[in-house]
Amino acid sequence: MTTMTETRTRARSTASSTAGTGGVTFPRVLRSEWIKLRSLMSTRILLLLTLVAIIGVGGLAVLIRYTYLENMARTARDQGQTMTPEMMEKSFPPGSGFDLYNLPNAGLQIGILVLGSLAVLFISSEYATGMIRSTMNAVPRRTPAFLAKAILLAVVSYVITTVAAVATFLIAMPVFQGLGFDLDWSTDGVLYSVFTGGLYVAGVALIGLSLGTLLRNSAGGITVLVGMFFVLSIASSFMTLIPGEFWKYVPQYIPSEAGGRFLSIGHTDGVIDPWQGGLVFLGYVVLFLVPALVVLKKRDV
Amino acid sequence: MIEAKGLTKVYGGKAAVGGVSFTVQAGQVTGFLGPNGAGKSTTMRMVMGLDRPTSGTVTVNGLPYAEHKAPLHEVGALLDAKAVHTSRSAYNHLLAMAATHGIPKSRVNEVIEMTGLEAVAKKKAGGFSLGMGQRLGIAAALLGDPQTLILDEPVNGLDPEGVLWVRNLVRYLANQGKTVFLSSHLMSEMAQTADHLIVIGRGRIIADAPVQQIIAGTRQARTLVRTSSASQLSALLAGDGVKVDQSETETLEVTGMDSRQIAQVALENRVLVYELTPQHSSLEDAYFDLTKDEVEYHSHLADGPAGEYASATAGK
Repeated sequence: MTTMTETRTRARSTASSTAGTGGVTFPRVLRSEWIKLRSLMSTRILLLLTLVAIIGVGGLAVLIRYTYLENMARTARDQGQTMTPEMMEKSFPPGSGFDLYNLPNAGLQIGILVLGSLAVLFISSEYATGMIRSTMNAVPRRTPAFLAKAILLAVVSYVITTVAAVATFLIAMPVFQGLGFDLDWSTDGVLYSVFTGGLYVAGVALIGLSLGTLLRNSAGGITVLVGMFFVLSIASSFMTLIPGEFWKYVPQYIPSEAGGRFLSIGHTDGVIDPWQGGLVFLGYVVLFLVPALVVLKKRDV
Repeated sequence: MIEAKGLTKVYGGKAAVGGVSFTVQAGQVTGFLGPNGAGKSTTMRMVMGLDRPTSGTVTVNGLPYAEHKAPLHEVGALLDAKAVHTSRSAYNHLLAMAATHGIPKSRVNEVIEMTGLEAVAKKKAGGFSLGMGQRLGIAAALLGDPQTLILDEPVNGLDPEGVLWVRNLVRYLANQGKTVFLSSHLMSEMAQTADHLIVIGRGRIIADAPVQQIIAGTRQARTLVRTSSASQLSALLAGDGVKVDQSETETLEVTGMDSRQIAQVALENRVLVYELTPQHSSLEDAYFDLTKDEVEYHSHLADGPAGEYASATAGK
């Protein structure tokens, strides 16, 4: 088809126009942004390292739990007892973070940090270098360029996180099966965990893109992002020490905790359900995306 | 064609551009001339929809830039040679720009060839010299083979060969019936390139006319006279409508009398004259006449033509 179009263009214009006459369409803008994303060596290296790092941290989490459980079983054996996997699981109080189903997301924090920062940079570096003016010359309506960036970042973040989650689980499965645990793809929560971790990271990337757009500054955007997803969650754990029921109720609504709830399964008394956590987090994403889009459309560049 | 009507941009209470109206016609090179800070770039940025006008409108080929379905085919702009991601290669930069309009790769290679960037196309744009950056900006502007070209200071940083190339390119494009709108603060460049001039100072249009008319219209013809008795001749010539400036001991500049009349006076009074040269006024003179009250940033050192002119008039 391409060849045909080219031939026709050449046949039609004898003077010079090898440039064609095509207009701006969303798929074309998407393609342009994809070229921008993949044509930076730094981005390619960063994405590869992120993948490796998420899997690496996941593998480490597997190793730590394996060593701990192995020890527990050996101690029991030495005392002449047998410890079944069920007994091991029961020895951990509920909510202590032992659950094996969310092992695929053990390295998620790395994904949040790196992919979130990359999303900030994807637009803030355009402001820093002046590239944004070329972008808006080519797509003067501006909104399609922003949406194309958003879609690309969300998809790339989702794919990388999910691939890493699958890989982590493929490492975890044989290890814990060896200990006698009943862990495979059909274990409660495993599939959910593998396929929703990426959604959370994609949401963080969208918040990163919005921050980069609003602040037009790489360092500022990344600082706010880290503040939101790392510092705020530490601060919120202190919040629970304040007397009164209210302060125990608040922390679960901060972005990182709401996202964390979204990645867990089942109902726990006293905290919001996973789907509610997901909705709260989605609310945050929209809360950042919409002002970014409005400002991008209105502001001089 | 570019049409601006009452275009105004106010930054922090100060009007960078104050209600300018002008039309840039197709088929000729229109120069946009003005001192630093006069509002040239701001005006061009408003044409391209990068800056929102405080009031007024501007259309390109009949529509505001952003409303065109294929903007890169309508207008190619070089507003800022540094509008490139520094870590991306020139080739990939152009490829990404081209992709938005489905412009084929072959066209990307074509503009790279046209602008002489073949050797550095795969290198990071951040390492480019100012001249190479300008060439890349021009390549991006030509990408869509647009009907209208807007070039802000295109020869900045170019070597003499590059300057000549830009001059020939814009002349060629104008001859093909395209609209070329070119800003510069280099009057000599404008005199050689532009057909029509729009002169801007402190955000207002101070002249909008063909180049020849601007040069001819602003200043009377002058004659340079070298004589052994400058003060004597000066006294003899001075009179109704005749102005004589003495710039050096034996040099006079006479306005309001042609060289034949000066020679006649000298002969009658037996004054030795060893040079008599009619001075053609240049665009440069015209420019200083037009903008002398509109310069935003005066330099206080009286060197260069502006200083000379200022002291010459002050001395009289």
